[in-house]
Amino acid sequence: MFERFASAARTAVQDARYEAERRGDRRIGSDHLLLALLEDDELARLVGVDAAAAHDAADQLDRTALAAIGLTLGEFQPTGRAALGRRVPLMTTGGKTVIQQALAKAAAEKARTITSRHLLLALLDRREPDPAATLLAALGIDQPALRARLAATA
Amino acid sequence: MTSFDMEQLRAADPAMGLRAVGALHRLAERVEAVHVAEARRAGWSWEQIGDALGVTRQSVHAKYGKRESNV
Repeated sequence: MFERFASAARTAVQDARYEAERRGDRRIGSDHLLLALLEDDELARLVGVDAAAAHDAADQLDRTALAAIGLTLGEFQPTGRAALGRRVPLMTTGGKTVIQQALAKAAAEKARTITSRHLLLALLDRREPDPAATLLAALGIDQPALRARLAATA
Repeated sequence: MTSFDMEQLRAADPAMGLRAVGALHRLAERVEAVHVAEARRAGWSWEQIGDALGVTRQSVHAKYGKRESNV
């Protein structure tokens, strides 16, 4: 399936695996795909948010959720990078859906390869409580406007 | 240090509650990575670290051994 991925999209999928490992998640999810896509400067400009801002927002969502159950971390800032237990982490169903939808979008455009743009469009279709949708909402991204910008770059 | 209110735990909505579980898991993984590396530097064996974490020597070595050889 991945042979049809353009190099940028392929990099994003590989980076998503690294994101999952770094954050300490057991599976590669749609949120990791989003964080990985934003490592690309051109795409980050299009979205209007860079990877650093997205990481901060994801951490803030974690802190808010912990506070909601009565846990405050205070000054505690874990500095370590987590390690994955298994060699090849699996994807969450949400992550798989994003890949499948990116494929479908590329096919609908009769595009020969699946690009980062197809992946991002597939991510924009996710609905909360999907973690990528939650992150996009937290970042305050104007999704219809972003879709329009993405359509213009097709 | 931290107050832990069972009423508050129950009151959290599922999205928040489940996110909090994920956040705790992520925190645990990051803290574990730091302290396994510390223990190795202090001369602990994989077996001792595994025992301290309640896992097998093999599983802790599989998870962190490769990283150590890269340093």
